[in-house]
Amino acid sequence: MPHDTRLLNSPTANSPAAGAGHDGPGHDELRRLESGLDALQTVPLTEKGPWRRALGGVLPPVLLLAALVVAWQFYTVIAQPRPDLAPGPVDVAASLIELWNDGRLQQAVLTSLGRGGAGFLIAVAIGTPLGLLLAEWRLLRRALGPLLSGLQVLPSVAWVPAAIIWFGFTDATVFFVVLMGAVPSIANGLVSGIDQVPPQLRKVGTVLGASRSQLATLVVLPAALPGYLSGLKQGWAFAWRSLMAAEIIAMGGSIGFGLGSMLQQSRDLADLSAVLATILVILAVGILVELSAFAPLERRLLRRRGLSPGAHR
Amino acid sequence: MHPLPAIQVQGLGKRFGPAGPVVLDDINLTVAAGEFVCLLGASGCGKSTLLNIIAGLEHPSTGTVTVASGNAAVMFQESALFPWLTAGRNVELALKLRGVPRSARRAQALELLDLVNLADAAHKRPHELSGGMRQRVALARALAQDRKVLLMDEPFAALDAITRDLLHDELERVWRQTGRTIIFVTHNVREAARLGQRVVLMSSRPGRIANEWRIDDTGPRRIESPEVSRLAIEITDQLREEIRRNAA
Repeated sequence: MPHDTRLLNSPTANSPAAGAGHDGPGHDELRRLESGLDALQTVPLTEKGPWRRALGGVLPPVLLLAALVVAWQFYTVIAQPRPDLAPGPVDVAASLIELWNDGRLQQAVLTSLGRGGAGFLIAVAIGTPLGLLLAEWRLLRRALGPLLSGLQVLPSVAWVPAAIIWFGFTDATVFFVVLMGAVPSIANGLVSGIDQVPPQLRKVGTVLGASRSQLATLVVLPAALPGYLSGLKQGWAFAWRSLMAAEIIAMGGSIGFGLGSMLQQSRDLADLSAVLATILVILAVGILVELSAFAPLERRLLRRRGLSPGAHR
Repeated sequence: MHPLPAIQVQGLGKRFGPAGPVVLDDINLTVAAGEFVCLLGASGCGKSTLLNIIAGLEHPSTGTVTVASGNAAVMFQESALFPWLTAGRNVELALKLRGVPRSARRAQALELLDLVNLADAAHKRPHELSGGMRQRVALARALAQDRKVLLMDEPFAALDAITRDLLHDELERVWRQTGRTIIFVTHNVREAARLGQRVVLMSSRPGRIANEWRIDDTGPRRIESPEVSRLAIEITDQLREEIRRNAA
């Protein structure tokens, strides 16, 4: 029997001389054993196909939406409420088509989306360095942290009157309100993302010889990305809400015609079906941005780290 | 010829804060180049603190630590792989931080992963690997630092017994192949008796070196072998004696 059979269940394996060779066949045995154990311990991932996933993700909400619209239509047909107080889905759809035909809908969506997008990007540009500073500079955090958390709770629409006095009826007013809504969320998201970086990862970075800046760019920031992304998501939600509030309150001057303005205009005309149509458009834009921008980004990010919410089945 | 010691710890003491309890007291330890030393002790004996001090992650309150090669690679109980990078990229990052040029990194990382029999898993992310595989990637990453000294802080404590047994063989093979100096911290007596050329037993509160055993290196041993058992019994007896001393 060869002397390198220490991994086999043989009587010689226990003798001191057994397995003195650390390469050759003994090594191969170890490799095969290890590969076998690896195969036993890793569960092959079964990915759902894109079709099944789309079907599973899209079908339930679409069905629910259809059911709600049908129920609404039944209600208007059966209960016959006053059409100016409770318009049916057909009236709302007609309003939507009318708004589209005279071009107001397209103009409002483009104006609002453009302003919301620009405001959000500016908020990212301000909130990200602010969050970094807060996360890494303790004194600043102790001083500014509570204020920033407070600002996150303060409805940013409260800034509208002040902004009108400062900036008049200009785009600056709208942007100011959007920024006050979005920046705290983005900064706080980044801070909590960085706070949640496991200390072990920083330690490993240090042990591997990373400098301070390498530690930040190669370890801390990538590790904080999920928290940052949820901050961005919340930041967008706050930006969009603040924008609508600002557009409803501040109209005229050099402020363009956005969805909020359209809402307010329809109210002035006591046109409830146009109001409801606009609300649905605002809702739809919010959902579309979430589905087309944030959801795929988040899914990719989390799945790469094995954190995908759908991973446990 | 007597080789220079790889690690020399002299009169080392550690307390956290001026009023804190003494964690380590008058530790003297010399580790020869290429030696495999197991540092054994009950929980709270300061063995991990000692390892962190040797690694340069913490500073001693008194005494000195000299690591001849300047620096040490460290491996922890949790693999602490970067979850956003594949196994291969994790190793490549260590090479990058060491200053290996980009063009050479990929091949070297594959070589290191092959050393722990994981070349096929280079493209996998940590969450797709089992605990044992993750620790082997962490070992490859620690080896990527190319430091003569490798410090290991209970690296196999969280693994199941079958995997741990296998990783003992793997680590021993890597040690013999690469000639690293290893300090291996553990609270598992058999593990220490299985792996070390020398087992250093620490007492608790304050952490002191209580005893040490040298084991003739006659090639790889098995954890089930009579020599390992005999030594484990002897060490356990003294370990229990040390623990009893803490009884009120």
